[in-house]
Amino acid sequence: MGDPRPADSASVDELHDSALTHVTGQSEFVDDRPMVKGELHCGIVFSPWAHARIVRLDTSAALAIDGVACVITARDVRHNLWGPIFEDQPLLAETEVNFVGEAVAVVGAQTQDALRRGIAAVVVEYERLDAIMSIEEAIAAERFIGVERTIATGDVEAALGSAPRTLEGTLIIDGADHFYLESQAAVVYPRDGAQLEVHSSTQHPTEAQHVVARACGLHSHEVVCIARRLGGAFGGKESQATPIAAWAALVAQKTGRAARLVLTKDEDMIITGKRNPFVIAWRCGFDDAGMILALDATLRSDGGAYADLSTAIMERALAHCDNAYSIPNMRVRGRVCRTNVHPHTAFRGFGGPKGVAMIESVIEAVADATGRDALDVRKANCYRPGHEVTHYGQRVDNNCLPELFEKLEASCDYRARREAIRQWNATGDGSPRGLSLTAVKFGISFTTRAMNQASALVNVHTDGTVQVSTGAVEMGQGVNARIAALVAEEFGIPVSSVRLAPTSTEKNANTSPTAASVGTDMNGAAAVDACRRIKARMAALAAVLSKTPPERWPSKTAGLGTVPEIEVGEGMDGPVDLTALGIPFAQLAFECVRSRISICEHGRFRTPDLSYNKVEGSGRAFRYFTQGVACSEVEIDPMSGAVKVCRVDILMDIGRPINKSLDLGQIYGGFVQGMGWMTTEHLVYDDNRKLVSHSPSTYKIPSIQDTPRVFNADVIVNDGNTQNIRASKATGEPPLLLAISVWTAIRDAIQAARTRPGAAPAGEVVSLAIPATGERVLRALSPELFESVAARR
Amino acid sequence: MRDYSLIYLNGVRREVRGRDALLMLADWLRREEGLPGTKIVCAEGDCGACTVLRSFGGSEFEAVNACITTVAQMDCSHIVSVEAMARNGELAPAQRAMAECHGSQCGYCTPGFVMALSAMLERHESAPAKTVANYLTGNLCRCTGYSQIIDAGCAARASTAHSVSGRFLEPAAVVAVAKAAEEPFQIAAGSTSVYAPTTLRSALALAGSPAPCRVIAGATDLGVQINKGAPWPQILLSLHLVRELNFIRSARRHIEVGACATLAQLRRACGKAAPEFARFLDLFASPQIKNVATLAGNVANASPIGDTLPFLLVAGGAIHVASRALGRGPIARRVIPLTELFAGYRTLAVSHGEIITHISFDQTVAGETLRLFKVSQRRDLDISAVNAAFAVTRSDRPLSRRRSVADACAFPMIASARVAYGGIAATPLRLGAIEEMLVGELTPHKVESIAAQIAGSIAPISDVRGSADYRRVVAANMFRRFARELADG
Repeated sequence: MGDPRPADSASVDELHDSALTHVTGQSEFVDDRPMVKGELHCGIVFSPWAHARIVRLDTSAALAIDGVACVITARDVRHNLWGPIFEDQPLLAETEVNFVGEAVAVVGAQTQDALRRGIAAVVVEYERLDAIMSIEEAIAAERFIGVERTIATGDVEAALGSAPRTLEGTLIIDGADHFYLESQAAVVYPRDGAQLEVHSSTQHPTEAQHVVARACGLHSHEVVCIARRLGGAFGGKESQATPIAAWAALVAQKTGRAARLVLTKDEDMIITGKRNPFVIAWRCGFDDAGMILALDATLRSDGGAYADLSTAIMERALAHCDNAYSIPNMRVRGRVCRTNVHPHTAFRGFGGPKGVAMIESVIEAVADATGRDALDVRKANCYRPGHEVTHYGQRVDNNCLPELFEKLEASCDYRARREAIRQWNATGDGSPRGLSLTAVKFGISFTTRAMNQASALVNVHTDGTVQVSTGAVEMGQGVNARIAALVAEEFGIPVSSVRLAPTSTEKNANTSPTAASVGTDMNGAAAVDACRRIKARMAALAAVLSKTPPERWPSKTAGLGTVPEIEVGEGMDGPVDLTALGIPFAQLAFECVRSRISICEHGRFRTPDLSYNKVEGSGRAFRYFTQGVACSEVEIDPMSGAVKVCRVDILMDIGRPINKSLDLGQIYGGFVQGMGWMTTEHLVYDDNRKLVSHSPSTYKIPSIQDTPRVFNADVIVNDGNTQNIRASKATGEPPLLLAISVWTAIRDAIQAARTRPGAAPAGEVVSLAIPATGERVLRALSPELFESVAARR
Repeated sequence: MRDYSLIYLNGVRREVRGRDALLMLADWLRREEGLPGTKIVCAEGDCGACTVLRSFGGSEFEAVNACITTVAQMDCSHIVSVEAMARNGELAPAQRAMAECHGSQCGYCTPGFVMALSAMLERHESAPAKTVANYLTGNLCRCTGYSQIIDAGCAARASTAHSVSGRFLEPAAVVAVAKAAEEPFQIAAGSTSVYAPTTLRSALALAGSPAPCRVIAGATDLGVQINKGAPWPQILLSLHLVRELNFIRSARRHIEVGACATLAQLRRACGKAAPEFARFLDLFASPQIKNVATLAGNVANASPIGDTLPFLLVAGGAIHVASRALGRGPIARRVIPLTELFAGYRTLAVSHGEIITHISFDQTVAGETLRLFKVSQRRDLDISAVNAAFAVTRSDRPLSRRRSVADACAFPMIASARVAYGGIAATPLRLGAIEEMLVGELTPHKVESIAAQIAGSIAPISDVRGSADYRRVVAANMFRRFARELADG
């Protein structure tokens, strides 16, 4: 098969860089690599208990099975502990298991059948121990990960004491599974000497490289990690792809054979961590106009058995408790609980959604209490001129929130629809409907300062084409297409002349994970840095060539020894426009090489002006904020509590987009992913904290039928974000948080139904957990039915 | 007797023998044929990433899940995978639309969407958003939120040059497949023997022999169980070549559905005879599943939440079985009403050697009100927490003969009622006591007492799909909804 192209090649520039190979099935993912001779299938023996001592581990029966090549246990691992922040998690459990799904052994076998039998034949005897099953139990047992973090401004206690009115509540937020379509996967090839070539579906090739090297007793220069593309990740492959790579590497090292480890969907969901569950208790002081005067919130998250990224996730949650609203007196405190469940991890939004869900639910409660429309409460409390400093002391520059509220309120016809819904609900006869318009202000940068750096390798070839490799990993978000567009723009060449090479630790080392929405921001800036260095050198030569007759250009003379060769010095400073010099790019590239001028370069980027201090909870945490608003309308089926999202309107400020189509894809996709978490995606565990909903037959992500029938997404024009590359803004995570409007709309519908004349008496604050599953909605909507059923039993 | 499964893969003849015949089609494509474009994600038919196109015996191409069906079951089929869709380097319409409308992000679900959309374009020149969504209900995407995929589906235009039937149903190959379909096969696949007889008589001979034998038609559930670690049965008896079992007959009063008729065929056939059931089938399973799965399979699987079962229980459903004593005697037949079929949790009151030949159910008659409900975590493509069927005949005076205002306001008069629920016990159940209570005038007070009776009398379990109390409330609410619809006319 050739290289298919759409008939209209002009449109190619706008496409995802892999669009054409995706649709033809030619895009290669880790498990699509052909099996090589002798390659082993690997599988995991994992703990069936939440907490237990390993009394006996016997691999002899497994090793006796025909086709079983090796069984790796903790004793085979040179350096067993790893972790992205704290090094507290064993790659393979040695004396104790701390969650259902914790790996105890890795089996390598020649066939799938031998693997299955080998796994079953590994004997592990456990002595069960008491387990911590919940946030509450962990708090009671004082089992925490890391210290408590606090961000505070003003005097909260005084302000709560003097506030005309106060409310308090508790918000329960369950986790969610990433449900990337491509399960965790790695293939490892032994190479010359002791070297290992690791192909991993990871957002963080550098961490995989380092952990593989340490686990195998190698040095970093003996391990290469390559990530061509990921079949979705959403944070789930930031840290948790690492042990998968290490397990496969241990088998490859021990046997000297290629080793492939691909989890099934069920294994993947049972073993790997999810979005951290949170319990947030809050107290709020406000006045009759709905102005929030004080907010005190205590956040507790379930970190699972090991630290993973949970402390950083908590830090971001704390930094997003303000969301779009200026609150003069505020204190938020957060701590991670250690429980006996899979270690929870990054998931699109990284803690931000928990803080935002809390404050948005507080606003709903304040609106209910004051009788004001929740949108008016939001607009009144919104960051605005004179009120633009966050609780951690960073100024909200280039604040578009008031504009976004005003514009969406008008374009989605909020007031008229609010009235229509009020009338609909007043009849009390139909399905309750709800409407809600919420906002997002998402901080862009890693909160851990050291991670805000990137590098890129740009190789220009003598035919004028360019290969780029950065630390960024392509996982569907389109980072490659955006970087290609930036490079093409720098050189003044078509996007089709630029190709992004697989991400590899050989090309860029010591990279940060592709996460925190900053993939394009940082790696694109690094690529542009490299382009500009190359351009400066090319321009210096071009300046000389423009004064030299073409027959004496290096391409005509180099090597012939007939005329003196052209020598060029350091290059030019300042912006350079290569096209203005009139020499075709390919020609100039060729002349450069003939003149011993390098047209390859490493670019670098470090995010400037970050000053956040985690201990004090203050400083400039983010380079800028991506902002947006969304209005959701929902209808509840009173028979089942099922929610239908009828209409969604989104308006975002994403600066000056590099590729608007791809950004809209992030907006639609992020919103629907968040919508799943707000509604149907329910993680169910048994009494032993084993995940029961571990496949799509029981864990329900949105289907195509759940996409809102009316689904409008648009962006405002904003050229003012000069802090970021090409005045663009990151779009990866922020849209997910807009789906909180679906949950507040459900709450709105329940509130309307419960306060209708003749309805059963309502509680003070509608208490609705996330996700608002059908059962939870029906319980909130018709508590009397559940009471009578319970009474009858 | 053949010893191979015959497949025309992307137009090329393949005879698959031995162990390979029991590979799932997706594994065979990826590992043995070097075609990794077809992806495996859930291995349970819920995500559609493994979607390929299949034509059985030269029929129209349809989307099927390659991860839960074996090569043996795909015998006598043309299979087209994503790799073959572009023609001479030119993208097929579905591919082009998915690329240009940004319907693809990470790319892992994309081949499945391309194939499901291509199945739509085999039947529709172009389609509106609703049709597009219906064809793509069986495909999950985690990146796009589907918006741009729907755009792609609406933008795609079928082209003659890219017609899959036109390109791949070569007349000679269709003849070869038809010929092969008249010849039974027996394939020794490791420790499992797979048989595909061509007559009921020989099928019954195999089923009646003493060795334990698993009879399959669509086998969409067996495929899942195997993928999740269940062992293969020793003998697998596939009915796909038994033409006498592939029929849907509409008799005067009832419909007969052969054991090999797919749910997709059934959906097309019962639109008029049982419109409510047809509507319900639209919420039930994905196109990929319905193109393979059978009504007989759904019944034989005996799940307490099988979605066709409450309907069959109220619609006079019955299964018709045939057997031959010790596999040798003459064909004996008997009929088992659905109400007597379920002996216990996932247990059928059928004997060794009996094969379901067909299932019959009554047509919905004029004057009868039939309503089917299901509640699941997600509306579409989800296993029910509770499902229910209500069928009543009314004895109200027709509107035209009502004289007084009081008459017009009268509550529904129920002459007879049948009520069945799934998800409330180990088997789906008719609720006889509720049926008796229903007869007479259905006053609001009576509605509430029946609802309370339903909630109080059933014994559901708590599981991943909902708590027992939720099931009780929902079961009662289903009845409340039905009663309100009756009252509203």
